[in-house]
Amino acid sequence: MSDKDRVWPTGLTEAESEELHRNLIQGTQFFGLIAAFAHLLAYIYSPWLG
Amino acid sequence: MIYGKMWCVVRPSLGVPLIIGAVAVGSFAVHLALLTHTDWVPRFLNGGPPAAKAAMVVPAADVAAAQAPKADKL
Repeated sequence: MSDKDRVWPTGLTEAESEELHRNLIQGTQFFGLIAAFAHLLAYIYSPWLG
Repeated sequence: MIYGKMWCVVRPSLGVPLIIGAVAVGSFAVHLALLTHTDWVPRFLNGGPPAAKAAMVVPAADVAAAQAPKADKL
């Protein structure tokens, strides 16, 4: 068995771990994009930092 | 991918809710502070005008006083 097929203590292989992490990063980017747009709208509306 | 292998040693059932929960609690705290420490967030939630327009709004009483005939002209 090669090291790539090793099941780690969490029950995941390295490939599964990286797949999960990729999805987590993608979700974070999507959330961040929407949050950035919402903050832009709030900045336009409000005296925020002004 | 950097840190991609962290889920080999951190249980996703613990780590994912921890990260999402930290973001949720942090952002909730910031927005609660904005709600309680500024006047424009409550005004927005009450349907009020933006701050720039609110500054330009002249109270109706002032408009009526300005338009009323002056006593010395009568």
